[in-house]
Amino acid sequence: MTDLGDEASSRLAIELIGLRKHYREGQAEEVQALRGIDLEIERGEMVAVMGPSGSGKSTLMEILGCLSRPTGGEYRLFGQDASTIDADGLARLRGRTVGFIFQSFHLLPRLDIAENVELPLFYQRVPRRERRERALAALARVGLDHRASHIPGEISGGERQRAAIARALVNDPSLVLADEPTGNLDTDRGQEILEILKGVHSDGATVVIVTHDPGIGARAPRKVSIRDGLKVDDERVSA
Amino acid sequence: MKGIAGTAGLAGIAESFRQAWRLLLAHKLRSTLTLFGVVWGTASVIFLVGWGEGVSKMLDDGFSRAGKDMAFVFIGRVSEDFTPAVDRRALWYTQDDVEALRRRARLPEYVAGETRRFGSAAFRQRALNVDVRGVEPDGMAIRGAPIAEGRPIRQSDLDQRRRVVVVGHDARRDLLGAEGRVGSWVRIDGTPYQVIGILGRVGTQLSREGAEIDDQLWIPLTTHLVQFPHEWVDEPVIGMIIFKLRDRALIAETKHEVRAILAERLRVSPTDEEAIPIWSPVEMMNRMPANRQRTLMVMVAGATLVVSGIGIMSMMLDSVRQRRPEIGIRLAVGATRGAILTEFFLETFAVVAMGGLVGVAVGSALTLAMASIEAGDLVPVPVYSWDAVAISLTVMTTVGLLAGLIPAWRASRIDPAETLRAD
Repeated sequence: MTDLGDEASSRLAIELIGLRKHYREGQAEEVQALRGIDLEIERGEMVAVMGPSGSGKSTLMEILGCLSRPTGGEYRLFGQDASTIDADGLARLRGRTVGFIFQSFHLLPRLDIAENVELPLFYQRVPRRERRERALAALARVGLDHRASHIPGEISGGERQRAAIARALVNDPSLVLADEPTGNLDTDRGQEILEILKGVHSDGATVVIVTHDPGIGARAPRKVSIRDGLKVDDERVSA
Repeated sequence: MKGIAGTAGLAGIAESFRQAWRLLLAHKLRSTLTLFGVVWGTASVIFLVGWGEGVSKMLDDGFSRAGKDMAFVFIGRVSEDFTPAVDRRALWYTQDDVEALRRRARLPEYVAGETRRFGSAAFRQRALNVDVRGVEPDGMAIRGAPIAEGRPIRQSDLDQRRRVVVVGHDARRDLLGAEGRVGSWVRIDGTPYQVIGILGRVGTQLSREGAEIDDQLWIPLTTHLVQFPHEWVDEPVIGMIIFKLRDRALIAETKHEVRAILAERLRVSPTDEEAIPIWSPVEMMNRMPANRQRTLMVMVAGATLVVSGIGIMSMMLDSVRQRRPEIGIRLAVGATRGAILTEFFLETFAVVAMGGLVGVAVGSALTLAMASIEAGDLVPVPVYSWDAVAISLTVMTTVGLLAGLIPAWRASRIDPAETLRAD
């Protein structure tokens, strides 16, 4: 599934050791978004990362998704130190190993839903026909195959979120990251999304959900709480 | 650049072109404006450079009609300080001077003596006051006027001082009318001459001494010397020596050589420009604004390129800036920087290439249409220039591609997370 050589040998999907991330906003003083986080997530786990806004959980997700590099500490993804992977290697990871679901969906407005879902496959150089088949399959998985030829502007927020999920799942990623996937949706739509993610989890993928919704957190087998850039709680709920 | 095109080959390129095309359609106004910038820039450069060339060519042609790359040696007076010009020693040339030049001067291609006098020419009931020239075969070569009918004046005509005449294009109309032809007889100052040839049309000259060639009658130089003896000099006086430059660029050297040879024979200083005045339209052209105009046109064209370039650049910069989130999304779902750059390259290339081709078409059509207009001898018409096509296309394409690629390159260099946050 991935091009990480020692993936099979690693028990852990994610290993964070003293992870730090600083931002410099203009001339102002440094913002410390993450101040040293240690975290291990095993393969096949489903974890909810909880925390108030500004706690650093989105920054954490960006680093987990290889969208951003940490300023300090270590991030091991399936056993490999992410800091040793070059930009193109990270791009490949994002395309094949990691499926990222954004809070604001991040669909390309000019492409129709099927094309949006195809996008990761496009960059994997999957042939056109196969791309379309797999995109439609992913859309069917989230119950959106009837919207394939609509553009994002023509469908509802819940449908857009499901399209974004289909895009994240189209490559059968080992790690699915969802940043506030229900944040912009009402409760019912949120439940739908959560069910889909649970399905992905039971199919074997590692799933990490960032949320500030306690209802979602309560339904995850493991709950990690973050506050002011530090891990404050890590509880496993026995099913 | 490694991108999708790198490994997926033609299918990848076709795919990227499809995407590029869709993006162009999605941003119709911006695409149109960019396209217009490229079209405008390319077309104006082709036309302006063509126009500059045309003005230059008009002047060049105008000067060349008296004879291409030629020069005139006139009769002068020794320049001596403080002496009134009328009191200075009079100078003139003879056939020996012409022969000496022909023998010794290396830089002129041809040398010939030429005499001229206005005389009365009559054919049947018509009579005209015309510019009658005494010419040599080499002189005819220098003048370059084509023979339309009959034959030119030959050395044998000079040797035997034949009374034969070659008639200029307009002089034929005015003097011979419909009835006269090769073989007809005309009278020049009362003496009968047989028409042996008729010149083709030369056109309006920008430099001339006396009448236009089209209005002249040409007779053998030796005959001319007998027909029109000098008023006060008791030997055959060659009123003017003409020569043709081997190399236009060597005008100064050629003048120097000719003047030195004549000065030696006339016993004047080899640097005395008043004693041996030499005048050439070539120098005139170099001094004239003709070339400056061409330079000006090239500068205007260059400015047009710069302005269009800036327009295209700002359009492209804006386009890419607006699409930074898109770049972020593409990176987030697995696009490499190479893939992003390939996409932007192809997309930009599509606009610029299309604009460039349309621009070349418009500029060429305009230039060729104006060039095909039947204009007078001294009306400039644009000259089509492949250089202008090549230069404008190259500049426009380069500017467009850079303007599209540089911001995309910068946007793809930072973390996708940051690019996405720009949303």
